[in-house]
Amino acid sequence: MTGSKWWWTWLAARVVIALAAGFLLGLLFGYPYTGITIVLSALLVRELWALRRVQRWLQGVPGVEAPEVGGVWGDVVSLIANLQRRKQYHKQRLLRLLRELRRATAAIPDGVVALNSQAEILWFNRTAARLLHLRARTDVGLRIENLVRQPEFIRYLRAGDYAQAVVVGAALDADLYLHMQLVPYGDGQSLLLVRDVSRQQRLEAMRKDFVANASHELRSPLTVIAGYLETLAQDRSIDPSLQAPLAEMRRQSSRMTGIIEDLLSLSKLEASHGAADREAINVVAMMTQLRRDLLARIDPGTVVQIAAQSTDRLLGDETQVHSAFANLLDNAAKYTAAGGSIVMRWWADRDGGHFAVEDTGIGIAPEHLPRLTERFYRVDPGRSRATGGSGLGLAIVKHVLQRHGGTLEIASVEGHGSTFTCHFPPDRLVTGVATA
Amino acid sequence: MEAADLSHHTSRRFNEDLERVRSKVLAMGGLVEEQLAGALNALIEGDSKLGQAVARNDHTVNGMEVSIDEECSRILATRAPAAGDLRMIVATIKTITDLERIGDECEKIAHIAARLANDERPADRYRAVKHLGRITQTMVRDMLDAFARLDAQLAVTTARNDRRVDEEYEAIHRQCITFMMEDPRTIRRALDIMWVVRALERVGDHAKNVCEYIIYMVHGKDVRHTSLERVEQEIKSRNAQS
Repeated sequence: MTGSKWWWTWLAARVVIALAAGFLLGLLFGYPYTGITIVLSALLVRELWALRRVQRWLQGVPGVEAPEVGGVWGDVVSLIANLQRRKQYHKQRLLRLLRELRRATAAIPDGVVALNSQAEILWFNRTAARLLHLRARTDVGLRIENLVRQPEFIRYLRAGDYAQAVVVGAALDADLYLHMQLVPYGDGQSLLLVRDVSRQQRLEAMRKDFVANASHELRSPLTVIAGYLETLAQDRSIDPSLQAPLAEMRRQSSRMTGIIEDLLSLSKLEASHGAADREAINVVAMMTQLRRDLLARIDPGTVVQIAAQSTDRLLGDETQVHSAFANLLDNAAKYTAAGGSIVMRWWADRDGGHFAVEDTGIGIAPEHLPRLTERFYRVDPGRSRATGGSGLGLAIVKHVLQRHGGTLEIASVEGHGSTFTCHFPPDRLVTGVATA
Repeated sequence: MEAADLSHHTSRRFNEDLERVRSKVLAMGGLVEEQLAGALNALIEGDSKLGQAVARNDHTVNGMEVSIDEECSRILATRAPAAGDLRMIVATIKTITDLERIGDECEKIAHIAARLANDERPADRYRAVKHLGRITQTMVRDMLDAFARLDAQLAVTTARNDRRVDEEYEAIHRQCITFMMEDPRTIRRALDIMWVVRALERVGDHAKNVCEYIIYMVHGKDVRHTSLERVEQEIKSRNAQS
């Protein structure tokens, strides 16, 4: 109704009628134009008065209700009141949604902290407050790294690579371990997800302790058995028909010792924390020695070559690196038939130092490649049992590389051979000094 | 003087510089917290490798002190800060000194821990050290939280706890002397324990110092030689006014 042209026409008509009445009244007294002026003034005053009431109402002067006025302003008032009601309705809806969201995030059993692009806290739920020792409301706006100060977490936050999570110990509680992961979203914002993984850590620790202890305990009895078997093998008075069984027993006991030694190395690697030491290792010299050792063990027909393109030295733990390289060579030897060739390469470039063992052995089918470094994983269980080995060699290599900040690359063509490459980062390299 | 108002600057870069310095101080604090936890753990669990690692890592703490000190000097020279910002820089320079000293105390504890790791564990005595260690660790964490939040109230409460540290220290000291008198064979180990708790007591003192700097930074009042009760009253009255 309001705003329709009939309404305006009706208003115009009313004004005209009022003016006419004024004119006529004025005419009675002999001042018709004064009559019109008076009517106009009265209309003006009325409208201005209504306007003032509306203005006071909009200004929010306390106690002033929506004025009930006639005329144009009356309609304006009801339009504004409508607008306000709609806005209020939308606001209530949003508030309700927000409250629902808050309740939902509070119900999440993990801690959630929302961060902006500067890593400042936007909000967090109660679990996060408990796990990270945050204070509700007052900590909003502070940088997360100012309150969650574990160096490991700060490094994770700055590194920018959030594909992985990080597990940090809680500051005060030695038994509390927190699994933290940053998930970027929106416009540079991110969510920090925090989970209490203390129980899992405890179980992991128990498992590792168990493996280490069990291996240790098994070592001594095995040494005794191996010793006796060796003595018996050399004893001439033993029935010759027992020689073959004795030889087999020696082989098996030697295999068990090998598995236990590998388990112990792996345990030690897992137990050691952080990066490996940084002594300078002469890689070329190590390769020469490894080659000598290998040639003494394997079939004379197989060729072992060294291709060293760099005299750079590696900064690392000599024992660990030696163990890793030896394991790779053992694998190459095991899976390469007599007459094949094994090549050791060492080179350095912008991306760091690289050590590769290339063989012309039986190769590995592509489906096995992702699982190769798993403990005890066998491509061909039957064959492996015959050739021996613990199944832990590649797991050891992987762990050693992790300690040195490096990676293992495996390339293979079934029936032709395989290449295992250890990549070491540039900060583990020392430019070679020419040896006299 | 008004409470520190770090948000108003003519230059946004300046604001970022100050924020960066604060974050660096807190990162250093986080490392010190880790060192303290590691040293105590090494002692209580008898982990000599951990003890050696903590002792070696002290040089990282020292490096951070040098770096933050340089940054503060640069800001003083190039920005010539005033009022609240100047207080913040001054307080920061003092704070990192105390943090570095806490790091040194942790190194001492770690050395002793590495040495004692080979000995038999005496369940009861380490419990007392563990208790004192926990109080001290809480003090260090709260002092760093107070620094991050610019929370003078928390600083006062934390500074208070130094009294508990001193009392615990006295108690363990007396206990050790008793043990030494009863059985001379325990003298060597008791002395080591006394060194450890002395180091913890000093950590508490340094934490209290930092709390005093925080109060200075926030309220502009130097409370270094004032009683804590008066400080607390002062802060309460200021909070009521603002």
